[in-house]
Amino acid sequence: MSILSLNNVHKNFGETAIIRGVDLSIRAGEKHAIIGPNGAGKSTLFHLISGRHHVSSGTITFKGEEIQNRPPHEINRLGLARSFQVTNIFPRLSVFENIRCALLWSQGYGYSFWHLLGRQTALNDKTAEVLEQISLQDRARFPAGELAYAQQRALELGIAVASGAEVIMLDEPVAGMSHSEAENAVDLIRRITEGKTLIMVEHDMNIVFDVADRISVLVYGEVIATDEPKKIRGNPRVQEAYLGEVVTGA
Amino acid sequence: MALLKKSAVWIVFALTMLILPQIFDSVLGISILNQMAIAIVFALSYNMLLGQGGMLSFGHAVYFGLGGFLAVHTLILIEAQVLTFSIVLIPLVGGLFGLLAALFVGSFSTRKAGTVFAMISLGIGELAVASSLIFVSFFGGEAGISGDRTYGPPFFGVEFFQDSEIYYVAAAWVLIATLFMYLFTQTPAGRLANAVRDNPERAAFIGYNARWVRYISFCAAGFFAGVAGGLFALNYEFLTEENLNAITSGRVLLMAYIGGLGYFIGPIIGAVALTLMNSLLSNYTDLWLLYLGLLFVLTVMFLPRGFAGLIMMHEVAWRRRTLKTLARPYLLTAIPASLFLLSCIGFIELAHLEGGSLSYLGMMLDPERPLTWVVLVAVVLASFFATRYSLPQLRRAWDEANSLRDEES
Repeated sequence: MSILSLNNVHKNFGETAIIRGVDLSIRAGEKHAIIGPNGAGKSTLFHLISGRHHVSSGTITFKGEEIQNRPPHEINRLGLARSFQVTNIFPRLSVFENIRCALLWSQGYGYSFWHLLGRQTALNDKTAEVLEQISLQDRARFPAGELAYAQQRALELGIAVASGAEVIMLDEPVAGMSHSEAENAVDLIRRITEGKTLIMVEHDMNIVFDVADRISVLVYGEVIATDEPKKIRGNPRVQEAYLGEVVTGA
Repeated sequence: MALLKKSAVWIVFALTMLILPQIFDSVLGISILNQMAIAIVFALSYNMLLGQGGMLSFGHAVYFGLGGFLAVHTLILIEAQVLTFSIVLIPLVGGLFGLLAALFVGSFSTRKAGTVFAMISLGIGELAVASSLIFVSFFGGEAGISGDRTYGPPFFGVEFFQDSEIYYVAAAWVLIATLFMYLFTQTPAGRLANAVRDNPERAAFIGYNARWVRYISFCAAGFFAGVAGGLFALNYEFLTEENLNAITSGRVLLMAYIGGLGYFIGPIIGAVALTLMNSLLSNYTDLWLLYLGLLFVLTVMFLPRGFAGLIMMHEVAWRRRTLKTLARPYLLTAIPASLFLLSCIGFIELAHLEGGSLSYLGMMLDPERPLTWVVLVAVVLASFFATRYSLPQLRRAWDEANSLRDEES
């Protein structure tokens, strides 16, 4: 049922407690949004799950295996991929190479220095397929660093999903986009995460309520509610802590 | 047909290496060609670290030198008839020991890139130099060690008494090593090296341990540096501490950088250019190292992508067939620029002169006469301002040649 669960997770930076006993259970196949005011610890929570930061205490279980404090590449290999709030791509590689690199591990190439990439037909076809999904096939030969911002975000999504991971974590995937760009991005997210588990941090409430099956509200390092969007709107604690008029207005 | 097209550049490369010793068949010519062969393999191996893997090493000569020392020891063992195999395989011996050294050092030095890696490489370099003076029986102390390449079993009747015979061995190894280093860039490990160079953190989140990726590149670079060291041992038949010290490490950095780190062919250009400077320019002036330093500084400042980058800049104009429109503007800038360069060199050489007068470009310059200095400074200034004055027209022509035409935009 639950593919990823956090059990009493704490994270302190020095004296400051950022995450203060989070319990969270993500169901396989659901679209789960994490919302909360600035500084609530949403990105930190992402970093803990994906292995970028170590937890101070508590356990994180992914597909029955404890993953807290393991290096990011090992967590990724188990089937958990993520994007970043700040665009995080390989700027000097071509768009094509960005995606192809993201596919290598799951396609079983490991650290091979005896395969010639040009001859790996299946790999190259799969790369082209992902490029088409994120509508960057025309940009395949461009250095990734020269793409427009929205395209770089799309590429970032492509890198995250390319490996075929079951759980995709997106940290503010539409931040900094115009309204129409954001709409396209949401369509794209829906398409590429079909049948997968999605965990998303997002500030735009329209998108959150539109995409998410369930929402967790994180306030000052604690999850104060996890529920369906409708019930979250009606939850008085949530309204008090965070949403307030936004929900009434929506 | 596709295969022929792909291998065309390699065939041209091989033919060039075959033809060169026919044209430059003097003792000096062959000696320079041998130096180039060694430098090309060494510089390409260095670029596996810096250009492709983002690892700035100040100690790459360690693997070159260790490979070379072991190669000389192997020559000595062949001479003593402990070992019996053809000396054409000596570069492979050098490579294996370069690899062995890299396997060990890389196991801790590739943990991090950036400053940490650079500092460790510097430390290992100093350590190797210190060791070479301590372990005299292996390194031969300050005198170094020497061997004799002519004792091995003849290779198809060739006994390698001549440097020109070694040239063909070296050329074959250059071709093999270059081919394999190129193929490495086309493998997952080679491409991931670029990815880790660009963004090690992202690499972790696509399932790769940046450290392993760096380690693999590091070991490959160590192997090919050792091959170059083995070629050096074959060519010179002796090695000293100088072959693994910071000067040799610095020179290979200059070769790769001046040639262009971002292009596979860059270090080859750099190796050829610096070998020529080293062996020809040094005949004309004691100051050639100063000019090399200036060339490096100017490259870093104005041509961050090196000579190869300078050539590749013209690709767009070449494809648009507007390259010839640049000829005249280039000439207009080149005339005052060369005058500026020549007068600066004249000034430096004159200032360096200890007594007597300087014969320069067919003129006798007398440092005792104030007029000489006045004229020289006047030419320096005039040509400097003329060059600056000529730049806008070059820039305009450049933009014109590279701008999109209507039908393309």
